[in-house]
Amino acid sequence: MRKWIVLASGTLLLTLALARWMEFRQPQLVSLVPTLTGQPEYCLSCHGELPEISSSHPVKTFGCVLCHGGERLAMDADLAHSSMRGGENPSDLAVVEQSCGGGNCHSGTTADNLDHIQRVLTSVQSTYAGAIANIRFTFGAQPDQIARFGIQSITDSHITTKTGLPSLNAFDPSNETSPLIQQFADNCLTCHINATLQDGTLFARLTGCAACHTPGINGFAKGQIHHLTTTIPYSQCNTCHNRGNYDLRSMAFIERTDVATDRLHDYYQPIAQFTRCEYTLDCVDCHTRSEAMGDGDLHSNKKDIQYIQCKTCHGTLTELPQTHTITEADKLAFKLAFLNPVVDLKAGDSVLVTEKGELLWNTRVLPDGSYEMTGKVTRQNFTFRPVKGTTCKQKPEQQGSQYCHECHSVER
Amino acid sequence: MRPNFFHHLHPPTIPARQSRWRYTLGAGGTAIFLVLVLIITGTLEMFYYIPTTDEAATSIQTIAYLVPFGGLVRNLHFWSAQFLLVVSAVHLARVVFSGAYAPPRRFNYLLGLVLFVSAILLDFTGYILRWDTGIQWALVVGTNLLKTIPVLGNRLYVLLIGGIQPVQATLTRFYAWHLVGLMLPAAFLVGWHAFRVRRDGGIALPPASMRTDNERITRFELVRREVLAMLFSASVLILLSVFAPAPLAAPIKEITAISGDARAPWFFLWVQQMLKWGDPFVWGILVPLIVLAVLALIPYIFPRPAEKDLGRWFPKSNRMAQIILAGIALLVIALTIIGSLAAF
Repeated sequence: MRKWIVLASGTLLLTLALARWMEFRQPQLVSLVPTLTGQPEYCLSCHGELPEISSSHPVKTFGCVLCHGGERLAMDADLAHSSMRGGENPSDLAVVEQSCGGGNCHSGTTADNLDHIQRVLTSVQSTYAGAIANIRFTFGAQPDQIARFGIQSITDSHITTKTGLPSLNAFDPSNETSPLIQQFADNCLTCHINATLQDGTLFARLTGCAACHTPGINGFAKGQIHHLTTTIPYSQCNTCHNRGNYDLRSMAFIERTDVATDRLHDYYQPIAQFTRCEYTLDCVDCHTRSEAMGDGDLHSNKKDIQYIQCKTCHGTLTELPQTHTITEADKLAFKLAFLNPVVDLKAGDSVLVTEKGELLWNTRVLPDGSYEMTGKVTRQNFTFRPVKGTTCKQKPEQQGSQYCHECHSVER
Repeated sequence: MRPNFFHHLHPPTIPARQSRWRYTLGAGGTAIFLVLVLIITGTLEMFYYIPTTDEAATSIQTIAYLVPFGGLVRNLHFWSAQFLLVVSAVHLARVVFSGAYAPPRRFNYLLGLVLFVSAILLDFTGYILRWDTGIQWALVVGTNLLKTIPVLGNRLYVLLIGGIQPVQATLTRFYAWHLVGLMLPAAFLVGWHAFRVRRDGGIALPPASMRTDNERITRFELVRREVLAMLFSASVLILLSVFAPAPLAAPIKEITAISGDARAPWFFLWVQQMLKWGDPFVWGILVPLIVLAVLALIPYIFPRPAEKDLGRWFPKSNRMAQIILAGIALLVIALTIIGSLAAF
């Protein structure tokens, strides 16, 4: 009996030693108490290697859980990740309001310029309303090109533009009689910013805000993409806008199989024409936040929201482009210049301004009457002149880009 | 050797057959050891557990991951609770299969049955205290069963739940039941049960005149055997605690949106499986109560086992009771297996 007790005691000691050893094997606990939540979280015990997501979202202030959700105390990977919002991407539009919204963040009003989520949810980039309306119109399912459907049903109670729509219903292909519209639904509904692209695509991007603000995810190991920026290179826009082409006969989307390296020659539409600025600048250098992210209204077509033209910067034969002298009241311009500090914006600077009053804060009116633009991604300076006073033969009423392309397009 | 306090809890000598593993399986003693482990680990957990709907699940995460050895303590509590049900069931089976419930042990048999039911309810209330998505189904659907009881159903539901759906009051009540309403009486009954074993003449054996072997062992030997069983049980508990942690899930966000596991805790899987057969009151409440009533009546309705047959397994004289219990046990085990394999 004594022998057995000694043996059993030894066994018990061994199991206790094992329990102690398993405790040792746990990762060292790393506690973080973000100032915004005041609640300890232990995510950094495993994720300490991740880079800061952006200088605007320092981890000491935000922590991880405020944006990502998840179980802040759990040291078991499955449990810790079980309640994360949007899996690895909390900016997916399905959860963006909980992740990026909230009263003090990106879900506010036009007055405080924090209505990012409302604008994105109503923008044509997420509703895809223009394409749906055009296809339905083309195949006789609706009598005009006014949008009735979007990717999801959505309403807008505060219409501010002439082309704004009160609501869109969710596009349901099963209600469509035309087989071509159904084919469109099968093949072509991946062109909105919340569409998940197939694995292995050359044009990888995330969904929601991260579709644009987390550029260049190809080449990153899964889970290591931890980056948000307003410095969005053209290559990120290309993940959608240079991804391939439609075959309207078979109503299919043919994704390109090569990686575009030459901006001028590798554009997917062979007939497209470019002036030099269109392939040397980045898209975000000219196209404004309201064009890209929406103005808060539901529109039927991209044309209703895209308004930057050559004349915005170059003016016409009779008029110089509009300019504005920066004052302390131009808080948004200062904020954008602060977020992407490519220019040292100061009160008193004279910058170009769009017809809707959006300040092109990365431009300058130079003393000699010419203009300068600083690339938001490249930080390169480009100087350019107004049309007025040149020998340009444009007619005042022909300001569309196709007219400028007649003389200024580059041979491809 | 001078007997210490622990030795004095035992009779100076007992018949050797009363402490033979292959007769008793050591089930009753192991159950008492598990109760002790449960009381100690449960007390330790109380220092960290916060019984509020907002913080219950996160406070358990704190115990499991952040408190030094908290995970080990919680896992020991969990595994002891699971084993308590198994060991108690084995103990009950031994008593019935060996006819040990015969007078004068009828009352102690009922005490034991009350303890068994208490253990099940303690397991269930403890499970609910997690208040995470893993227990949500059992909480919402399981307690809704009460509403199916004719006349009293809704009142019983409100009495237990403290509202028209699970709320903070529910957690408070389950906490009170677990710690006071069930644990305190059960702890008292464990003492009474053990006292009655001695008062009824120890573990059932034929009267001294009918015994063939009169070998006896001392309390020192008995305590050594108990220590051996404790050391062995403790090793098993620790091993399981290290390699198979107690389940945890994300906190409940919205009580009515049942998103987590739709499986009852394993000891109620057989009831959950029967619920598929029809009327929830009949299969979810009436049939389990009938099973309990049949178990309680075993010492009273079946012929008394012959005295000479006591102290060994499967005596002929109480065959009917053995068949009834074996039938119930097989059904419950079969339904539990089917339930654990079924997809929900």
